[in-house]
Amino acid sequence: MMTRITRRATFAAGAALALPRFAIAQADQRPSITVAVQKISNANVLEPLREQSNVGERVCLTSLWEGLLGRNYQGQLQTVPVLATEVRRISDSVVEFKLRQGVKFHNGDEFTAEDVAFSFGNDRMFGPGGPNSSGTIRVGEANPTRGGKELPAEVPAVANRSFPGLERIEIVDRHTVRWINRTPDVTLEGRLARYASEIGSRRGYAEAATWLDWARKPVTTGPYKVLEFRPDTSLTLAAHDEYWGGRPPLRQLRFVEVPEVSSRINGLLSGEYHFACDIPPDQITGVERNSAFEVVGGTIPNHRLTVFDKTHAVLRNPLVRRAFTHSIDRQAIVDSLWAGRTVIPKGLQWEFYGDMYIADWAVPRFDQAEARRLLREAGYRGEPIPYRLLNNYYTNQTPTAQVLVEMWRAVGLNVQIEMKENWSQILERSPTRAVRDWSNSGLFSDPVSSLVNQHGPNGQQQQVGEYANEEYNRLCVELETSTDRARRRAAFRRLLEIGEREDPAYTVLHQNATFTAKRKEIRWQAAPAFAMDFRAQNWGA
Amino acid sequence: MFRFFGFRALRAAITIVMVVTFAFVVLRLSGDPALLIMSVDAPPEAVAAFRTSWGLDEPLWVQYVRYFAAIFEGDLGRSMRDGRPALDLVVERIPATLALTIPALFIKLGLGIPAGITAALHRNSLLDRTVMALAVAGFTVPSFVLGLLLVLLFAVQLGWLPSGGQESWRHAILPVVTLGIGGAAVLARFTRSAMLEVLGQPYIRTASAKGVPWRQVVRGHALPNAAIPTVTIIGFMVGSLIAGAVVVESVFSWPGVGRLLVVAVANRDLAVVQCILLLVAATMVTANMIVDLLYGLLDPRLRNAPRGAGG
Repeated sequence: MMTRITRRATFAAGAALALPRFAIAQADQRPSITVAVQKISNANVLEPLREQSNVGERVCLTSLWEGLLGRNYQGQLQTVPVLATEVRRISDSVVEFKLRQGVKFHNGDEFTAEDVAFSFGNDRMFGPGGPNSSGTIRVGEANPTRGGKELPAEVPAVANRSFPGLERIEIVDRHTVRWINRTPDVTLEGRLARYASEIGSRRGYAEAATWLDWARKPVTTGPYKVLEFRPDTSLTLAAHDEYWGGRPPLRQLRFVEVPEVSSRINGLLSGEYHFACDIPPDQITGVERNSAFEVVGGTIPNHRLTVFDKTHAVLRNPLVRRAFTHSIDRQAIVDSLWAGRTVIPKGLQWEFYGDMYIADWAVPRFDQAEARRLLREAGYRGEPIPYRLLNNYYTNQTPTAQVLVEMWRAVGLNVQIEMKENWSQILERSPTRAVRDWSNSGLFSDPVSSLVNQHGPNGQQQQVGEYANEEYNRLCVELETSTDRARRRAAFRRLLEIGEREDPAYTVLHQNATFTAKRKEIRWQAAPAFAMDFRAQNWGA
Repeated sequence: MFRFFGFRALRAAITIVMVVTFAFVVLRLSGDPALLIMSVDAPPEAVAAFRTSWGLDEPLWVQYVRYFAAIFEGDLGRSMRDGRPALDLVVERIPATLALTIPALFIKLGLGIPAGITAALHRNSLLDRTVMALAVAGFTVPSFVLGLLLVLLFAVQLGWLPSGGQESWRHAILPVVTLGIGGAAVLARFTRSAMLEVLGQPYIRTASAKGVPWRQVVRGHALPNAAIPTVTIIGFMVGSLIAGAVVVESVFSWPGVGRLLVVAVANRDLAVVQCILLLVAATMVTANMIVDLLYGLLDPRLRNAPRGAGG
């Protein structure tokens, strides 16, 4: 039997098909936003325990992942409660957390103490051996990596470095947990606000077929959930409408990877992207020439350093290294290369260190006469000092290096740039290793997160053999283990004196900054960090 | 015929082994993948664990032997970035690249060959000079400059086309045109040179003197003989279909093999780089073999010549 298709029936069918879509569109008027970034994720995953990079922080923090504690991205990055509502110190090694109730994961599950225990447990963080176990699983036929739920070898290493004293998580009740540390640690609250301390869904992890599946589509509590992740290409997040912090302001948030600066800017100007990230300072004027656009952003918790190899024949003498630190006109670098849009910090520290912040500290003053005097006293006779340099790994790195070399030359230091292609060439141990660039982040609200972490006995600088100082190392241990805040503060000050003045390991140049171009009409505030906050309180406010 | 293929297959195999060995040595000596993939700011323990898990702490020759042994078992290795098989990563990017390079190849052929022939047939005329001026411009302007100029004009100023990405067929227009123009310019110059050389040959003069219509002289005598150098260039173009858009893919944020190669080299993701190089080498070698066969079809002297008598 043939069905007779009338015009009326056709209209009716068309309307029936169109109506639900129209109704949905009517119901959800929220905008969809596209953000052009240079890189979405270095490791092509969205699991903070594996993706340990600034760019990873941008997409993972505030939008996707949340921890018990977090940082105030609309303020000065102070530690704030997120999935915990109450933090109580039981002892120097035990902290109790009351969990926020009514929080829903992206899969609809309620957030409970079980999820906290899972997140800091062996399955997700430490591997079968538990915290502080060692031993690396090799990639091979017996363990086709990420083929199952085996953790990549680097994940337990990151977890152990982040939470070195964790013994276990104790579940007190459905909404209360206790962090039990093996050793006293006054930095625990800070550590639990750092990148890598985020909470994932226990069931979400169990249901993922492989670790890679989990790491590319983690089930979390953040305001946006992963819709699609195309490695090296794009990440599309959709609003998680059951978000505890209120309905997210964006229907969809899409990060696209556009490696070229000019392409990001062109895409912004042509209207394809709403935000273009990683804009170099010298492009800011060009973008803002168009009155419809502006560049926002500024300092991030990361300082640019010049690092010294103390074992180099010339730099063995601390007087020479001190001369380096006094011959740098840091303000000239900030003014000329950063258009004045960053600052010279007070050494390797940040204000969010709270009572550990040494407010009266400063980087060595620009004093060419003092630098020359130190070189005379050191008996320096113009021997060449190599400066291993990468081509703009950091923003403005090469021009900064050229300026530095001239500043050093002005006081008599014969520094010679050697261009290198990558970090292994920079760090290669040889008699020609002397001066290099680096940057250090303040991972949480205590100097342990930067100074000890990067320059202490287990930090990179000492691990690669550039630096060692007996008193410095002793104080690092004290800073990590002492619970006496006054003694810790004194130890930190002394560490700054040694590492930045007496026996310099490094010298701080300026605070790093990141800039984002956007349409002026979008009311959105850049955080003082890499993270981009697209939560309700920061959209259209 | 068997000797013809056998010799070329052996040469191809040696070429591929040399390419892979060269890439292995250069990439492994010039950077530590652990530091590049984990980043310099990762905890030293994590970098060390990564190194151990991927066997990067073993002597270079052990890694090399292991890598080659795996290749002979059909295992091209895994990406150190996310642990996925390198071949899967590369294969899933090939369609995106071919979506640019195949249409671009048609532009190159469709524009370049007629332009070169026309210029040669109107040698030293205004038309010839105009075509050659455009060809020189297209040949000398780097593809990233041309790409950005096209984006500025058609995306930023006119707003007709998207500036980058891979969402729709419209996103492919500017990268295809960028690739096509450069290649067409190269082809036009080669075709013109080849045609001019042939048009100066005695047999062309003889044919004309015999009263053969000029159109027939060109079609029957000049074009087939001028095709040999042009076919060589086309062979290279076909050979570079898979990885011939590295720069353009970066400028237009096109997620093809070219961009994968850039990221993999930057991260010293050896298995992925090697896999791409193997594919490129195989494509190039195959294209060259096809070109060799075409030589025989185009020029009977080459087909019938004894080996060693003139290549």
